[in-house]
Amino acid sequence: MRVVVAEDQALLREGLVLVLERDGFEVVGTAGDGPDLVRKARAHKPDAVVADIRMPPTQTDEGLRAALEIRQTHPQIAILLLSQHVQRRLAQELLEQAGAVGGTGYLLKQRIVDGETFCSDLRRICRGASVLDPEVVATMLGRARRDDPIERLTPRRREVLALMAEGWTNAAIARRLTLTEKAVLKHVAHVYQELGLTTHPDEHRRVRAVIQYLGR
Amino acid sequence: MPTGGLPRERDGAGRRSAAPAGAVKLVVAELAGVGVLLGIIEIALGATAVHDPWWTIVLWPAAAWIYLLAGIAAWRRRPYNRIGPLLIAAGFVLLASGLVGDEPAIEAIALIVATLPYALVVHLLHAFPSGRLQGRLSVLTVAAGYAVCLLLQVPQYLFGPETALQVADRPDLADAALRLQWTAGSAVMVVTAVILARRVRDADPSERRALGGLYLYGILAVLLVPLSSQVARAWTDEVSVWLGVAQLGIVAGVAVAFLAAMVRGGFARSARIEELAAWLAGDMRAGELRDVLAEALGDPTVELLYWAPDRGRHLDVDGRPVALPDAPTRAVVDVSHGDRKVGAIVHDRALAGDEGLVRAAGRAVALAFDNERLMADLRASREALRASRARIVAAADDERRRIARDLHDGLQARLLLLAVHANGVRTDAQASAQVRARARELEAGLDEAITELRELAQGVVPAALTERGLAAALEDLLDRVPIPSRLEVGGVTRTALRGAAESTAYFVVSEAVANAVKHAGARELDVAVRLSDGWLRVEVRDDGAGGARLGDGAGLRSMADRVEALGGEVAIASEPGGGTCVAARIPALARHGVDLLDRATGPADR
Repeated sequence: MRVVVAEDQALLREGLVLVLERDGFEVVGTAGDGPDLVRKARAHKPDAVVADIRMPPTQTDEGLRAALEIRQTHPQIAILLLSQHVQRRLAQELLEQAGAVGGTGYLLKQRIVDGETFCSDLRRICRGASVLDPEVVATMLGRARRDDPIERLTPRRREVLALMAEGWTNAAIARRLTLTEKAVLKHVAHVYQELGLTTHPDEHRRVRAVIQYLGR
Repeated sequence: MPTGGLPRERDGAGRRSAAPAGAVKLVVAELAGVGVLLGIIEIALGATAVHDPWWTIVLWPAAAWIYLLAGIAAWRRRPYNRIGPLLIAAGFVLLASGLVGDEPAIEAIALIVATLPYALVVHLLHAFPSGRLQGRLSVLTVAAGYAVCLLLQVPQYLFGPETALQVADRPDLADAALRLQWTAGSAVMVVTAVILARRVRDADPSERRALGGLYLYGILAVLLVPLSSQVARAWTDEVSVWLGVAQLGIVAGVAVAFLAAMVRGGFARSARIEELAAWLAGDMRAGELRDVLAEALGDPTVELLYWAPDRGRHLDVDGRPVALPDAPTRAVVDVSHGDRKVGAIVHDRALAGDEGLVRAAGRAVALAFDNERLMADLRASREALRASRARIVAAADDERRRIARDLHDGLQARLLLLAVHANGVRTDAQASAQVRARARELEAGLDEAITELRELAQGVVPAALTERGLAAALEDLLDRVPIPSRLEVGGVTRTALRGAAESTAYFVVSEAVANAVKHAGARELDVAVRLSDGWLRVEVRDDGAGGARLGDGAGLRSMADRVEALGGEVAIASEPGGGTCVAARIPALARHGVDLLDRATGPADR
């Protein structure tokens, strides 16, 4: 899998490249700022782009904007954005922008430490799934709300909901919670019903629906 | 600075000063209207009643209008001077004395005030140029004049020829009164002439130029009036119309002479200084000194500079340092109170002319000047203080952002890299189980450290605030608060507002929310942020226990200090049991020379 890495911090960039190459990815290009990222992506047409959100020149959300630009001309390129601190609104926007294509991820930078998980998430993204950092999902779930159906879910179902929001497949959820897939399906159906969501065939759309729900 | 305009009468002390310019205009307009109207009525009355040639009917109204005109002009130019009102009064008296008609009431009025105009002319001459009588002799003379014209008139209409007021027909008494009036009146006129002559003699050259013409005419006028009566009597026994006309002409001439003296700018030095003194003693209001001096000196371009001794320079009225002008058309006169320099008056060399006058004006208002100097100095200090406080807050804010950035860019990156290496060892198939176990511990420990560091940096300056702006940062803040909340953000775009104002607003909300959760036990929060008219307005409402005050928590107090240092305000409304509302308003634009928007720490520096 060919990847372009965008990170203005030299140390961190090295670390990223190290983690990716250790797991078999081919880093075909690196960029140090927003415009450079767009150029490299268009030039190399990688399978995925891994980018820090905060980059020069403005040091605000250059990474995000560059990613959205790339998406307009090359929607097949998967995008994984890394952030210092996860923001609910950004997660929502990202999923909106992803549209039907999927292939979007939003993770904390420190997730690169666990190279195995990080890279497997990246592969999933390349296959079209959406992946959200557990912390942003936990925050969204944990938001205090007035009289909310989520309160009525059992703890187990809330776990399932969290994993759904993070973008896990039913099979993965079953493995994680040591349940049968059938049990997971039942839980999922119940969650849909309870929250009033329409069912979605694939995980990406599911993530979007759940995040939309959690973000209102 | 207070604006003028509304009339103010003296309070309790019982003194009354002349009304300031604003009210005068209204009164003057009314008087003018009334005068014109009465004059026309008089002409109409005369047309029906009098059989003398037509032009005699308009004589008195005409003279009266001349006095009214002169009086109105004088009062408008010099509102603090009583000459104006006196001239106007003389005008109305002339109107009254010229009334003719068959109505007994009209006849009575005319008889009573028949000779009063002369008393007013005498009063005017004595009171010129300041409008006030100077010296006991003047006062006595003028009083005598009024007595002669009013009191000695009485027997003439009580005992004289048949008129509405006749009580008895005693021509002998009437004649005696007339002769007494003539004698006493002449005495008054002569004394007046002497006093006027002495003033002309004692005046200095510039004053003599201004006053001379008027006084000379005044002297002639007061001497001619009784003289002409005597001459005419010697010639013929009848009182001719022409004599009356001549005397009226002389009297009207006095008003014309006043007008001429005024048009030539001839209200002399003493008058202006007296007006200044009147203003000082009466209506003096802060900030008016310059305008009053401009009026008194006749120079609208007058500027006042205040001396700040500890700074060794001049300040303007707002406390800002200014340099002395060096243009050739501007002249500077120093003002001292006692032996202490308090400032300077800058004036147009041509307009205010005479340096002596400016100096005298300066002496008169030295005390007021000193007061305004102190105020200007105080304002300057206050401004400097505000600016320095704002700079401190902005600098502290910059520091925070720098620290957060260093933590994130420098330290966290290193820790991440170390953790990645630890992970590498942990997953290395060739390492021993022991080593891998130790590596796992290392990795876990580093992961924790990184999380702590992230949260530390987040507390210093939230990432969302720098990356996406105030709205996003507040969302994140409220997401993590254990009670439900509503957030409303209006008009705050990322580009419109950054920097110290934005961080301060964020921390105000964060502090208020923390208090609501920790101390007030609130169950719901309402946060509203709006950017309008260059002000960033923040409101945090909760339904908790209430009873909070600004001094209570150190956190809120220090937030309030920061807000105030930037030039904003914080207010807490908190009734016990009724919830709390913390409201702050922060200027969003550059103030005190400190740019509250993202400034020097632009993209390049970050």
